[in-house]
Amino acid sequence: MSEDLTGRLDDSSAAQQRFLSLFLRSEREIFRYVAVLVPNVTDAEDIVQQTALALWEKFDAYDPSQPFTPWACRFALNKARQWIERRQRWQALLDHGLAEELAQRRQELQPEFELRLKRLDGCLGKLPQVQRALVQGYYFERLGVEILAERLGRTPAATYKSLQRIRHALQHCLEGRMKPEAP
Amino acid sequence: MILSFPSPEFDDAVAAVCHGSATQETMCALNVLLRRDSIARDEYLMRIELHARLASEPDLFFHSANEVEGAPAFHFEAAKRPRKLGRALALAACFALLATGLRGWWFSRLAARQGATSSAVAMLARAVDARWGQNTPQPTVGTALEPGRLRLESGLAQVVFYSGARVVMEGPAELQLISSMEAVCHAGRLLAEVPPPARGFRLKTAQLNLVDLGTVFGVDATDRQTELHVFKGKVQFFSGTAARRSMSEGQAAVVDGSTPPRFRAASEAAFSPLFELEKLSSAAESVRYDQWRLWSARLNQDPSLVVHLDLQNLGDSDWTLRNASEKSRSVLEATVVGCQRAEGRWPEKQALEFQSVNDRVRLAVPGEFDSLTLSGWVRVQGLDRQFNSLFMCDGFEPGTVHWLIRNDGVLSLTVKGPEQQFQIMASPPVLTLDKFGMWTHLAVVLDGKSRRLIHYVNGCPVAHSMLKLGPPYRFGSAELGNWNALSGPDPAPSLIRNLSGSLDEFELFSRALSEAEVYKLYTEGKPEPGR
Repeated sequence: MSEDLTGRLDDSSAAQQRFLSLFLRSEREIFRYVAVLVPNVTDAEDIVQQTALALWEKFDAYDPSQPFTPWACRFALNKARQWIERRQRWQALLDHGLAEELAQRRQELQPEFELRLKRLDGCLGKLPQVQRALVQGYYFERLGVEILAERLGRTPAATYKSLQRIRHALQHCLEGRMKPEAP
Repeated sequence: MILSFPSPEFDDAVAAVCHGSATQETMCALNVLLRRDSIARDEYLMRIELHARLASEPDLFFHSANEVEGAPAFHFEAAKRPRKLGRALALAACFALLATGLRGWWFSRLAARQGATSSAVAMLARAVDARWGQNTPQPTVGTALEPGRLRLESGLAQVVFYSGARVVMEGPAELQLISSMEAVCHAGRLLAEVPPPARGFRLKTAQLNLVDLGTVFGVDATDRQTELHVFKGKVQFFSGTAARRSMSEGQAAVVDGSTPPRFRAASEAAFSPLFELEKLSSAAESVRYDQWRLWSARLNQDPSLVVHLDLQNLGDSDWTLRNASEKSRSVLEATVVGCQRAEGRWPEKQALEFQSVNDRVRLAVPGEFDSLTLSGWVRVQGLDRQFNSLFMCDGFEPGTVHWLIRNDGVLSLTVKGPEQQFQIMASPPVLTLDKFGMWTHLAVVLDGKSRRLIHYVNGCPVAHSMLKLGPPYRFGSAELGNWNALSGPDPAPSLIRNLSGSLDEFELFSRALSEAEVYKLYTEGKPEPGR
């Protein structure tokens, strides 16, 4: 995710080490913050990487007495906005103040989300083997849907549909409504 | 386009946004709905949160490795259980067979079977002066490896995972195999090469989890720190609570888990003995040979595989060929008469060469079959005889088959019917001069149900025929590379049908393989890589 960053920080001075340490601890949260606006994983990762570079450039201005994540998220919001401005499709999704509304509402819902997502590990464990392998291939191994489709002997469209169903099943499980069982 | 909530259209739209495939029209409609309907908006946020969580919490997927670390002894037992059951069944079968005098055969099969159970995830491909730890598995080269720990005291060993990932380890080292896509390096130095099919291969040490993106990388692990060196391609890793990070060619990182990683330049010198073995084994021929060995081990589990002569590990004085099929009980072995040992499709692989009129491989295949597939890798030197045998049943018994190449390059399969009936199904001339001296895959499929016969050359059908003579088909005593005409001494010249060339593999299936399956036999067995 932070390849350029790695290059730039090769000879690690104390400030860089401190920054890395802070950033790495917040990176997952920053990613999820960005994903609220741009949920597509590779695009969100791009934005996080640009955010990291911007943060490093402005790291002098960071006040260590303040929490790092909210400070970083402000940069992430800016970077996301710049990214969205250049893409009509995403503008259409987030126009008329929806971006701000989503970011705001997510913050309000955060405690409830955390509560529900506690079960995610267990719910993943209950998935049938094939479905688990598909989720893992897509989210963890980051394999393209074409590759996954070939592995499963399905079309890419059917593979996307399977992923959608699996998420649906996981969500039911998280809400304690039923066992994860994608049709 | 107008979206309502709840609706299947809403579900699809949210999924398309997650996958990055939503159209502008969909996004517009979603924007309108989410601004208007606060329940839909909350639902949207929950779905995105779940999606983002899956994408950003790799720990969710390291379950198996963590479990194993927490309770190694239990897992090891669990992993071994199926094998114990397999052994018990094999022993029971063995006692049943004692009465029929096949004891020696069963014991040798039992020994060979140790490796090829279906829960295996990798194979020990090569070893140099390898000494394995006491009270741990003592694999030999070619052994299939099940999930569990390998402790190498000294020397070098190469493990090839069924996914295609190849790991060279240098003793002292301890490697735990989790699956064909995952391993844990508890200690020691290793070098991993991950080809595209194994992309996503995961390796864990005490300090970090890494995901390979198609590379060569080295790991030097102790319980205090892990050094990671990337020599080719790209690796992602994460340690502690930090998010994943990428490393590219030429970079190295030292990770101790508590402080941020320290970066430096990758050093090949530290891994030089491992590189030597890796180089030796990464010659294109060796890679192909390993891939074929892996494929072959899996093929041997096919219940319809009646005979598989893989011509592996032939001694100069061996005159029996073990049937490598794991599921076939009817054919034990084949007998070599004459024949020279020759190089097979790869330098490390053997083959049998047929030259003189005496050279042949004899085998007896009992039973009757509704459908059949015959397959083999041959290198034809010349078509000296009018009929050059590939696989021919002795004499002309009803229901038997003769598979041969005519001197004009035509592939021919003859089915003998009752009394004087027979049917010859021939291809056009396909074994032309340009194929002489080249390893060529030949196959013929007899489908008794649909009464169709197909000849194949290098995975492609070259001739279709209708079978007039229906099943059952049978073999009895038969020969590869020659023919026993049962005609007494001094046979007529047309009855001398010895092959001039080499054979490197032979399979007999008790069913009609599909076109795709025959193509697979060709692609998995072909000497050079690629399609």
